[in-house]
Amino acid sequence: MKSISLYEEKASFVHDVDPITKLWYIPFAILIPIILPSFTISFLFIGLSLVLLLGAKVIRKTIPVFGFVFLILITVVLIQGMFKPENETVLFQIGPLTMYKEGLLFALTITLRVINIICAFMILVLTTKPSDLVEALVRKGMSPRIGYVIVSVFQIIPEMMATMSTITDAQRARGMETEGKLLVRIKAFIPLLGPVVLGSLINTKERAMALEVRGFNSQAPKTYLYEEKTYQFSKVLQIGMLLLTMAAVSWRIFL
Amino acid sequence: MKKIIVEGLKYKYPLADSLALNDVTFDIKQGEFIGIIGKNLAGKSTLCQALVGLVPHFYKGAYGGKVIVDGLEVKNHSIADLSLKVGMVFQNPFTQVTGSKTTVYEEIAFGLENIGIPRTEIIERIDSVLDLLNIEQVKDHNPFDLSGGQMQRMAIASIIAMKPDILVLDEPTSQLDPAGSEEVFQAIQSLSKQGITVILAEHKMEKIAQYCDRVLLLNNGKVVDFDTPGKIFSREDLEGYGLTAPVYTRVCKALGVKKAGTDEYPVTLEEAERVLRGDGA
Repeated sequence: MKSISLYEEKASFVHDVDPITKLWYIPFAILIPIILPSFTISFLFIGLSLVLLLGAKVIRKTIPVFGFVFLILITVVLIQGMFKPENETVLFQIGPLTMYKEGLLFALTITLRVINIICAFMILVLTTKPSDLVEALVRKGMSPRIGYVIVSVFQIIPEMMATMSTITDAQRARGMETEGKLLVRIKAFIPLLGPVVLGSLINTKERAMALEVRGFNSQAPKTYLYEEKTYQFSKVLQIGMLLLTMAAVSWRIFL
Repeated sequence: MKKIIVEGLKYKYPLADSLALNDVTFDIKQGEFIGIIGKNLAGKSTLCQALVGLVPHFYKGAYGGKVIVDGLEVKNHSIADLSLKVGMVFQNPFTQVTGSKTTVYEEIAFGLENIGIPRTEIIERIDSVLDLLNIEQVKDHNPFDLSGGQMQRMAIASIIAMKPDILVLDEPTSQLDPAGSEEVFQAIQSLSKQGITVILAEHKMEKIAQYCDRVLLLNNGKVVDFDTPGKIFSREDLEGYGLTAPVYTRVCKALGVKKAGTDEYPVTLEEAERVLRGDGA
């Protein structure tokens, strides 16, 4: 079945790390460059994240994501470079367009921050199975109901899409035009919504009943089929990240 | 020992005009294999759901009378409490897939995790139900990628793994081929022989006649009769309730041969054969 999760199953040391540690890495990698706003630190963290992504052998999966993000970042660079109110020092001119130093530096800060955030999230998303992450969170005390909602989305959405294509086929078999000009396509889309939405509602009701009889609302303490995924250095990593963050904060305050 | 007691059960779905169940009274002993028959909309599914507490807890609606399942009065206990005693398999296998698990193995574990079965026992139980329902070969497949029949077996396996004392099945073999349904019935029968009480709503009359100890005949939400398959299928007014007797019964009825010393027609192949060969006469 087609999955909408970006997770890629590979054997690497990043995959071996438990989901909670990877989750901790996100605020860590985002906060430090904000606490210590220097380009060196930002580059350092982006470099670290990229090395981890390379180590996890998932760097190729990041390309489409970066492709999308760069599109937005280019507009940031152009607008800040040309129109930031503090712009004074002219850097270069292309025809009537003038680029200023202040704006470009500011755009660089934003760009680095965005790339840094994306890298940090990608490490979690690309190397952690969604169900593993949710299970880890449920073990830490998150409500299993919320966990169910998050995990089931990954399967129910592709299921709804499959239902939709079945209904499209059925309607095409009865002579409806579904291909061609944009207007034709939009017209073909409307009669799809009724059956898909209503069908999903009915399915949801039946699924809810099936969950009920399988003890979904049981008050008993939950157990797990799989043993908790542990990583021998997870405590070290977590404490290390916490100490580094504290060090960064005190550096900023006292020096 | 009476496992299930239903007394004067009346139920109306919210927004409905008529009663889905009207003054239903019967009781079932431990270990019995009960069939529920009746035409569409006779109230079979509603009755099944009343035994696990979905009626009235899930739907709400107007409820009267009493249902006592293994000592628990359904009205006063949550579905989660009842799910430890009664398991239910629904008609549509597709919507019974939880959607939160990516393999059949994990899918079966879902209910066991919820009710807090220790890990080692979860694994033991899953292995045994995979074997019982003959779906071992698909245990690592995604539940949504299974065929209708495999999905139905998985749905039954998921409930059986929870080891309920009472098993309620609402047309559990609708997606299965004849050989597949036979296998599933055999599996259910073997559970029944271990002392599990089984309640089965089904349209396959031959199967009902072959496996059930007693049959509950429903019509328009009322109990018409609750008796042995022989007595039920020998009723002259069966067609008036939108049902046809097993083919063996119809053949013997046309030939006018009854079981020796009784007023009943044969209902299974074996009985019909015995009577028609003249062994039992």
